Amino acid sequence: MPDPEKRFAEEWRDAAYNCFSSGHKFCREVCPVMQVTGNESWSPTAFHANVVAMEQGSLEVADVAADYVNCTGCGACELRCPNSLFTGDFYRFRTRTVDLVKGVRSLAVRQEVHQPAWRRWNELTAERTHEPVADGVSQERVRDWAQGLDLTVGGETILFVDCEAAFYRPSVPRSVACVLGLAGYGFGLMNEQWCCGGPAAEMGYEEQARRFAEHNLADWRASGVRRVLVLDPHDYITFTEDYPKYFGEAFDIEVVLVVELLAALIREGRLAPHVPVERTVTYHDPCRLNKRKGIWQEPREILRAIPGLTFHDVDRVSQWSYCSGAGGGLAVEKPELTAKISEMRMGKAAELGVDTLVTACPWAERPLTAAGEARSIGVVDLHELLAESLGVAP
Amino acid sequence: MTVTLGDPVVEELRRILGHDHVLTGKADRLNRTRVPAPFPVHRWAERMPDLIVMPGSTGEVAEVLRLAHAHRIPVVPRDGGTGLTDGAVPLRGGIVVDVKRLNQIKEIDLDNRTCTVGTGINALKLNEVLSRHGLLYPDDPASYPCSLVGGRIGTSGWSLIGSRYGHTRDLVLSFDHVLPTGRVIHVGDGIGRKITKSSSGYQLKHLFMGHQGTLGIATEATLKLFPKPEAEFSPFWAFDDYDSAYRTVGQLARAGVATFAGAVLFDEWKVAYLRRDDEAYIPQPASVKALVCAALYGYEDEVRAGGSRLMRIARSMGARYLGDEISQGDWAARHDRYATPLHGRTRSGQVVPMSWHCEDASINYTNLPAVRLAWHEIADRLRRASDVFDDWGMFAYTNGATGADYLTEIDIGIWEQRLDDAAWAAWVSAKRDLAAVALAHGGSISACHGSCREGEVDLVPEELGGGFDVMLAIKRALDPHNIMNPGKYLLDRAYPDQDGSP
Repeated sequence: MPDPEKRFAEEWRDAAYNCFSSGHKFCREVCPVMQVTGNESWSPTAFHANVVAMEQGSLEVADVAADYVNCTGCGACELRCPNSLFTGDFYRFRTRTVDLVKGVRSLAVRQEVHQPAWRRWNELTAERTHEPVADGVSQERVRDWAQGLDLTVGGETILFVDCEAAFYRPSVPRSVACVLGLAGYGFGLMNEQWCCGGPAAEMGYEEQARRFAEHNLADWRASGVRRVLVLDPHDYITFTEDYPKYFGEAFDIEVVLVVELLAALIREGRLAPHVPVERTVTYHDPCRLNKRKGIWQEPREILRAIPGLTFHDVDRVSQWSYCSGAGGGLAVEKPELTAKISEMRMGKAAELGVDTLVTACPWAERPLTAAGEARSIGVVDLHELLAESLGVAP
Repeated sequence: MTVTLGDPVVEELRRILGHDHVLTGKADRLNRTRVPAPFPVHRWAERMPDLIVMPGSTGEVAEVLRLAHAHRIPVVPRDGGTGLTDGAVPLRGGIVVDVKRLNQIKEIDLDNRTCTVGTGINALKLNEVLSRHGLLYPDDPASYPCSLVGGRIGTSGWSLIGSRYGHTRDLVLSFDHVLPTGRVIHVGDGIGRKITKSSSGYQLKHLFMGHQGTLGIATEATLKLFPKPEAEFSPFWAFDDYDSAYRTVGQLARAGVATFAGAVLFDEWKVAYLRRDDEAYIPQPASVKALVCAALYGYEDEVRAGGSRLMRIARSMGARYLGDEISQGDWAARHDRYATPLHGRTRSGQVVPMSWHCEDASINYTNLPAVRLAWHEIADRLRRASDVFDDWGMFAYTNGATGADYLTEIDIGIWEQRLDDAAWAAWVSAKRDLAAVALAHGGSISACHGSCREGEVDLVPEELGGGFDVMLAIKRALDPHNIMNPGKYLLDRAYPDQDGSP
C-alpha cells in the first residue's frame, strides 16, 4: 500500500472500525444519494468500511475515488449515526463522514486521481478566481450584482457574496444589501474578493483551497476588515471550519451569518416586515445550516414575521433526510444525481400543497427551481422574500 | 467465475439490467460482503461475491436467476444487509442480487387495509407515507430504521411489538417469489394477494419465509395494515433482584390485556453493563438489579385501562415504577440503542472499541432462568479465553400475547480489530454451545435471526430431526443445481453427488 494511503488509514482507523463493526446503517435512509440510487457502495457505511479495507491492503484510493464523488456533504448521516447519538460522548467521539469524504477526495487528488468535471471546474476557478457558475465569470465582474446600489468598498464589516449568488442569482445579494440598508446596518464590499475556496476543498483540491483562503484573509487584513457577513451557508462552513483549520488562532475575523443577523434585527424591531406576501410556502432547511450548524430557528422566525404567508412547516429532524443535491461538488460531477435529489425534495413540498418553496441557500436554488417547474412550485430565497415584505425588493 | 469485461455472463447481465446496475468494482464487492453478525474481519476477502446486480423489477430478478441457473452460478440475495445471522453473506462468490431498487409503494388499499410494496422498501419510510392515511405497518425489529421488507421475509423476522400485532409471518399476506430456476410464483394463504386466511392447498407462505435466501428471492409483497395507534404506554419498572423481575414479567404477559404489545426483562448483567458503559443510562440506586418494561398500543381509553391493570400487577409484585419520563424516553430510543458499538471492557477494565453482537434463541418462560445462567457461563468462558469478548448481559422479550415463550438474547461485545483465527474459533465454538443450551431446554436455536451461521448451524439437523430431511428434499427439488445461497444451512447435504458444491 502506498504510504499516503497507509497514513490516511491509520488516522481514520478507529473511526472506520466504529462504523464498520456497527454496520447498522441508520444513515442509509437519510442519505440523499442512497435514497435516490439505493447503491450501498455510495453509503456512509461504505465510505468508512473502505478505510478498513485500505488498512488491510485490499483497496487503494484509485479503486474508490469515484465512489466518494457520491456525497453532498449534507451531514445527515452523522446526525443519524447511533455512534454519535448514544455512545459517542464516552470517547468524545463523533462520526465525521463529511470530513472523511473530503479526506479521501484530497488523498485522491494528491495521488493524481482526478474526476474529470471536478478537475476542469477547479482549473477554471483558478483561472477566473471564481467558480465558473455562469458565462462571463471574471474578477472584474464580481461586484456587478451591486450596480446602482451605491455601496462602498471596504470598512470593518464587509459582505462576502458566494460565486453562485454573485454571478447567477444577483437578486439575493441585492436583497440582502437593501434590507441591511433599511435597517441602517453599515457594511461595505470586499476589496478583491476571490472564491472562498470551500468548493475546491470539498472536491479534494486542498492546495488551491488554501491559496484562495490566504488571498482572502490577506485582503481582509490589508483593508482592516474585522467582520465578514455571509449569506451563503457553504461560505459559512468554509469561514467557520476551514479557515480556522488553515490559520489556527491567528484567524480572528468575526463571521456573521446574514440569516441570524436579520432575525436579530427583526427581534430588535429594526426591521418590520409589513407588505403582505400572499403565498403558501414551506421552508427548505439548507443542509449546511440545519444539519451541520444546527441553525433552523432563525429562518423560521423570519418567515413567521412576514405577513400574508401561509407557512406549512416541516420540522428540522424530518428534514435531515431532505437535500437539494447541490452540495459537495455533486452537481458538478454528477448533475443527474443532483436533479434526482432535488426532484425528491420537491416531491415532499408538493405533498404539502404549497405554491412556493423558500430556501436560504443560493446553491440549492438552481436545481430546486428546475425540479419545481414540473410541479408548478416556485423557489424563492428567504432574503428576497423578506426584502419584498419590507418593501425594498431590488 | 472470473469477472472480466469480456465475460459473456457479465455482458448478458448488463443486457438484462443495464450497464449501471451491474457492479464489478472491488469496493462494490467488499461492501456487499458482510452484515452486522459477528464477522471474521481478517478473512473479509474470503466472503466476496464476484459481482452485484441491482434489478429494477421482478422480471429482471427472474432473468438473472434463469441465467445463473443455466450457468450454475451461486446467487445470494441482499436486502438491508442488517441481519444478525449471515444469510446475506456470500460463501461461494457468485452474484449478489441487491434488491434496494425495488422500493416502490405500488398500492395502498384503504378499504382492505393492505399495501403492496417492492421488497426493497424500509418500514420506517413506508410508515412515513402510511401515517398520512392514519395507518401503520407494525413490523418493528430493532433494525426498524434500516432493515428492508424483503430481508424480513427471508429471515422470517421478529417484531418488538409482535405480541399485539404479530410478527413478519403474520404481517406479510403474500408475495411474488422468484424460484431458483427463475420461475415467478405468488405465495400467500391460498393464491390471494390480500387474503389473510385460506385452507386451500399446502400453506406455502411459511416455506418461503425464513429460508435465508436458499429458496429464491421475494420481490413484491402485500402487507397487512393497522390503524395508527392513538396511544402508547411503555412503563419501566425496577427490581432488587432478577427473580422478582422474572416473576413479574410472567404475570404481565399472562394477564391477557388486549393492548399488550410486548414486555422485556433485563437481567443483572444487562443492568450492570448499562450502568457501566451506556452513555444514556440514567443513574438508579445500586439496589436496582433488574428491569422490566412493557408496551401497550391502542385507543387511549383501552390503553389507559390495560395500563392500569399492568401497573397494579407490577405494584403487587414489588416493582418500582421509574416514572413517565424515563419510560417514554427509553422506549422511544429503543431503535437507536440497538447499536452500542463503541466500547466494551477488557477483564482489567480497560475501555476498548467493541461491536455489539446479539445471540438469540426462543425459550419457554419456565426455562428462562436456567438458560440465562448457562449462557452467562459460556460468555464467561469466552471472556476468560480472550480479551476480545465482553458479556453485555441479557434481555428476554415476549414472543406472543400469552407469555409462552421469549426471544432470549445475550449481547456479547467483540473487539473486531483484534479478531484472529484463534478468537474466531473460540467464538464459533461458543455459538455452538449457546445453541446446544437452547435445545437442551426445549427451545429453538433462534427466535428471529435464523440459525445458519458457523457453530449454531451444526445443531439444526438435531433441532429439526426428520424435518431437516424434508428441508433437503425441498431444496433439491426447487434448486436442482444448488445455486441459491450455497453453503448455508448445511443444505449442501442435499447434493451428495455434487461433492456438496454447486
